Amino acid sequence: MSSIATEPVRKVCVIGAGVMGAGIAAQVANAGVPVLLLDIVRDPADRNAVAAGALKRLQKAEPAAFMSKRAAKLVEVGNIEDDLARVAECDWVIEAIIERLDLKHALYEKLEAVRRPGTAVTSNTSTIPLGHLVAGRSEGFARDFFITHFFNPPRYMRLLEVVAGPASDAALVARISDFADRALGKTIVACKDTPGFLANRVGTFWLQSAVNAAFDLGLTVEEADAIAGKPMGVPKTGIFGLVDLVGIDLMPHLKASLTSTLPADDPYHAIAIDHPLITRMIGEGLTGRKGKGGFYRINREAGKRREAIDLASGEYRPQAKPASLPSAAQKDLKALLALPGKAGAYAWAILGATLTYAASLLPQAADDVVAIDAAMKLGYNWKYGPFELIDRIGGADFVARLEADGKAVPEVLRIAAGRPFYRIEAGKRQYLGLDGAYHDLVRPDGVLLLEDIKLGAKPIIRNASAALWDIGDGVAALEFTSKMNAIDGEILKLIGQAVPLVASKFKALVVYNEGSAFSAGANLGLALFAINIAAWGEIEKMVSGGQMALKALKYAPFPVVAAPAGLALGGGCEIVLHADAVQAHAESYIGLVECGVGLVPGWGGCGEMLARWQAAKGLPKGPVPAVSKVFETISTATVSKSAAEAMDLGFLRPTDGITMNRDRLLADAKARALALAEGYQPPAPPTYRLPGAGGKAALELAVAGFRARGMATPHDAVVAGHLADVLTGGEADLVDTVAEGDLLALERKAFLALVRHPGTQNRIEHMLKTGKPLRN
Amino acid sequence: MQVYSAPLRDMQFVLNELHTDDGFGDLSAFAEITPELAEAVLTEAAKLCENVLLPLNRSGDEEGCHFENGVVRTPAGFKDAFRQFVEGGWNALVLPAKWGGQGLPEALGKLVEEMICATNVSFSLYPGLTNGAIAAIDAYASDTLKETYLPKMVGGEWSGTMCLTEPHCGTDLGLLRTRAEPAGDGSYKVSGAKIFISAGEQDLTDNIVHLVLARLPDAPRGVKGISLFLVPKFLPDAAGAWSVRNGAHCTMIEHKMGIKASATCQMLFEEATGWLVGEPHRGLEAMFTMMNAERVGVGIQGLGIGEAAYQSAVWYAKERVQGRSLSGTKHPDKPADPIIVHPDVRRMLLTIRAWNEGCRGIAGWISRALDAEKHGETPEVRQRAADLVALMTPVVKALFTDLGLESASLAVQCYGGHGFIRESGVEQYMRDARIAMLYEGTNGIQALDLVGRKMPAEMGRYLRSFFHPVSAFIEENGGEGAMAPFVTGLKRAFEALQGATAMIAERGMKDPEEAGAASADYLRLLGLVAMAYTFAKSVRIAQARLAGGEGDLAFYKAKIDTARFFYDRLLPQATAAFLAIKAGKASIMAMDEAAF
Repeated sequence: MSSIATEPVRKVCVIGAGVMGAGIAAQVANAGVPVLLLDIVRDPADRNAVAAGALKRLQKAEPAAFMSKRAAKLVEVGNIEDDLARVAECDWVIEAIIERLDLKHALYEKLEAVRRPGTAVTSNTSTIPLGHLVAGRSEGFARDFFITHFFNPPRYMRLLEVVAGPASDAALVARISDFADRALGKTIVACKDTPGFLANRVGTFWLQSAVNAAFDLGLTVEEADAIAGKPMGVPKTGIFGLVDLVGIDLMPHLKASLTSTLPADDPYHAIAIDHPLITRMIGEGLTGRKGKGGFYRINREAGKRREAIDLASGEYRPQAKPASLPSAAQKDLKALLALPGKAGAYAWAILGATLTYAASLLPQAADDVVAIDAAMKLGYNWKYGPFELIDRIGGADFVARLEADGKAVPEVLRIAAGRPFYRIEAGKRQYLGLDGAYHDLVRPDGVLLLEDIKLGAKPIIRNASAALWDIGDGVAALEFTSKMNAIDGEILKLIGQAVPLVASKFKALVVYNEGSAFSAGANLGLALFAINIAAWGEIEKMVSGGQMALKALKYAPFPVVAAPAGLALGGGCEIVLHADAVQAHAESYIGLVECGVGLVPGWGGCGEMLARWQAAKGLPKGPVPAVSKVFETISTATVSKSAAEAMDLGFLRPTDGITMNRDRLLADAKARALALAEGYQPPAPPTYRLPGAGGKAALELAVAGFRARGMATPHDAVVAGHLADVLTGGEADLVDTVAEGDLLALERKAFLALVRHPGTQNRIEHMLKTGKPLRN
Repeated sequence: MQVYSAPLRDMQFVLNELHTDDGFGDLSAFAEITPELAEAVLTEAAKLCENVLLPLNRSGDEEGCHFENGVVRTPAGFKDAFRQFVEGGWNALVLPAKWGGQGLPEALGKLVEEMICATNVSFSLYPGLTNGAIAAIDAYASDTLKETYLPKMVGGEWSGTMCLTEPHCGTDLGLLRTRAEPAGDGSYKVSGAKIFISAGEQDLTDNIVHLVLARLPDAPRGVKGISLFLVPKFLPDAAGAWSVRNGAHCTMIEHKMGIKASATCQMLFEEATGWLVGEPHRGLEAMFTMMNAERVGVGIQGLGIGEAAYQSAVWYAKERVQGRSLSGTKHPDKPADPIIVHPDVRRMLLTIRAWNEGCRGIAGWISRALDAEKHGETPEVRQRAADLVALMTPVVKALFTDLGLESASLAVQCYGGHGFIRESGVEQYMRDARIAMLYEGTNGIQALDLVGRKMPAEMGRYLRSFFHPVSAFIEENGGEGAMAPFVTGLKRAFEALQGATAMIAERGMKDPEEAGAASADYLRLLGLVAMAYTFAKSVRIAQARLAGGEGDLAFYKAKIDTARFFYDRLLPQATAAFLAIKAGKASIMAMDEAAF
């Protein structure tokens, strides 16, 4: 194992600058590793044009491919005719060219001549067996070669399928896998060398059987998607919405490659049928969202009407809202399958076939149920993997229904004999092995999950919106549990209780959770309700209570490390700002967005940001530059698109850490907290030099300019005026020193004035109703 | 004895002084309605009500309506009274000028309505429902239907009804069965039975325009499959004369507890020709336009009866001599003192008076909002007014009618045993007041509408239209001084209301039964705070006038006295309502059904 640490991946070459290759290159660059991106020469006059064009597209990609502008600079473009020899500079060469064996062979032959022995060469193929790829290559090449199959888009999809051959060097596979895990943030699923590997094999079968069943049962696309969407724990787009998203024309490609490689007795052959409607749609360019329309479209000629295609007639018609399923069937798979009529029949047609198929892949395609479940969760965004779904249905019921249908029951279900595939034993999660025994689910080194800790422990304290956990080694973790982890009075109350508890029993505190958002901010619904009933006193208590709670964290006698992942907005961002250090997941979207709903940060966010920018290097002298910088960031409600960008914006300090792999975040944060605990001294409160009324006038002038150019709305100007008042120190004079408490008082004053403003009330109402900001 | 003279001074106070600062502004649409013109309208209305409608109140109750061979006859004198009513243009007071109405503001119209209801609530139902039907037709029907029907209806020649209820379905209109088949020529054949149709048949107008809820053949089940149809009693013949009898017949009239002079009909529609009003399957929406306006009107019935009960009770309390004052003889010239000397009689009289003045104050505010909703100068004003109307409609309906019955009952109490005798006239108020708590949605349904629909609507925005002005008033008038006792009481009740609102929102979100269990007490609490607010505003004005020594000083002094009584003796009910809400649903739901 030590060789892994001593031989880092210092440079990577990606060959093939298509969507996948370019995306992989961007993610390598996001990890801070230089990358050479090569493609063919198409234009003799501009020999790097293909790769350069791909880089340009990457920089404009939505969602963004790069985490920062710095990352983009790490990609160097070239072409395979002039630059192939430079693979000798690289520790890892990723081939991501078109899926044609002859072209791959030709490339490998050239690579063999120029690469350094010991340089890993991997293919991003999704369909071609490893045995075919290395045919004809030297023993040395075969030892350094394996498959690394990424999912699209490579920055965001966490699955990496790794397929090693019998000749592959296990140590090299481990070294590259470790890099992909830690630096690229991927979860490695080891697959065997079988067609389609795991995710696409199950996923393609699932999509095809769901499409077929919708035609067979005469469902509309809306009806189908309402069943095969959220209730099954798969993306809410459902089947047809998903096919629209990935491209309808991809279906025949997947089908062709799988039918040509799967064994003749594979059940996929029986369902791989062409639907005349789909063939016609592809022919007419109706390929989904990227084309002229798909199973759904927005008809711009009919006033942006949402339409869906009728599967029987092939004509578009206005989209219809299908009758909603009974609430039990939306949460409980058993209830869904028990529904009378088409709905229950459709659910079973999909689940019965797909889960049976997934189960039939063991042990040929994977070693255990965990691999298949992980592949589907991380590669297709299923909430539950196939075996977790069988557990939810009940293994015995599932088998009974298969038998009643006269269907073959896969071996793994026989082995389970009605027992669940997963169980919790003595506080540990266990899975059922193919040997019929339960085994502990072992996480990789350096992966620590609150989810696991919670299985074997009770919280130190908890209430409706938060909990405090002992995560070992003298570190406590504060977890939010409210909806979207929105911050409410309960969370503030728990912070108040946690500080003395941690001070007396622990060395450090980590603020962390495993929700989809770290925190979406203060609970706006509660705030609007309080506004509606004119509960101004309650609002003031909420503001000052939040200020006190966050300052209590800041000045606590122990270090506090915030570990955000996903959204950290408004009050969530302010918690991050008050921590002694931050260990952020790379995919952290941080911002003070209060102005978007007509407010200003009220929990100390203004002062914390000012303190940071006053201390920042490289700004011109005097109090104004820091104030301008913070004013610009907050007044435009800027949200970082990554942790790296959050650092540029000042939401993170240059000394804060970034973790690429979501599963490693807690362990990294804990380590950081322990490092700080030794001889920890709470920070001294900052003092400020602020420009006062003169500075405020300058900021307001700038806002007036934006107003005049139509870039700011009337209420923007009102909100900006209050923000300027806070950031310039209100009545402060240049010679005065403004204390932290004074700034907090200014925040409260501005916040309480704004909540009474109808413009702000309308903004909050609109945001809650539509999820979009009101530009009033 | 039924005694009534319109409380013109208080009405003018509400119209011209109380709500000038409500933020709805001067509505330029009514610029020509000067206080002098308004006074003239009120004075004339008072004359008609006192001289024509009041004398028919008891006789109409005694005689009732007559039903023979499908024909309904109203009690003696009603035909003539209706003719005078229409000739004076009173039926069209607030109706749009475009269709021949007078186009006066609701703020004035609702005061006239109060007088009509105070003097003869049975009579009020004949023109009253016509106005609702006109509103629905004007808002939803085709231009042809509007042009054919509205001028005659606004002119008082024809009347209107609203036909919702069926024998098996009242509150739950989703169960509705009446059907409408397309006739092929754009008209429909409407068939089905309707009950409880006020003025479904009468002898006052030449034609009756029924607005009927029915289902089209392809209608979805439930409330989303209901359409609205216009079905006239008479159809035009080839020459255009309205002589062809349509298949819409009254099969009997109900025998009722009260409002006996109002014909409550069972209707049978047999392939009656009708026309669609509004879009297919969207009939409930159109009907609710009508219904919402009617609900405020029903609230006014409660207030009108309350005022009549007050005046009849005061007359008796001054007239009737029994015993001596507890603090010594007050009228040595009489064999005994009039009973008004007794604290408990005064308590009853002041209770009725405070309810009436409080309700009138609220009604004045909501009527202003009804006007501002249509004619406000900015979209913001129109929105805020519409929000206030939506929020307060169930409160006006349920609170005013609950209090109307309470007031009538207190009036009977003031009369002692004589109140129980028909000839006293006051027992009729109790019987007539009772229906207003039931129709247009029972008061229980109003309370559910308030907590279940109005409170959460638009992320709670409706609440703002009420809570913000009250909160601002408290902030502006707090501190020491003559207003202090009132603002202190208002603040306490308002905080109870805020607390109860938060409690219901929180509990009701998790458990709708909690909201249901709290609803009636919550409506009462909100109503009491609204009343406390209008009283406090009244006191502020009255104190200023008294300090300045200007105007009708006796009126302003009495206003403050009534307000003090309300704050001392009635507003404490807010605390009781709050405690009941706080207790939650547990004791309401605990008992097994079998134990009842």
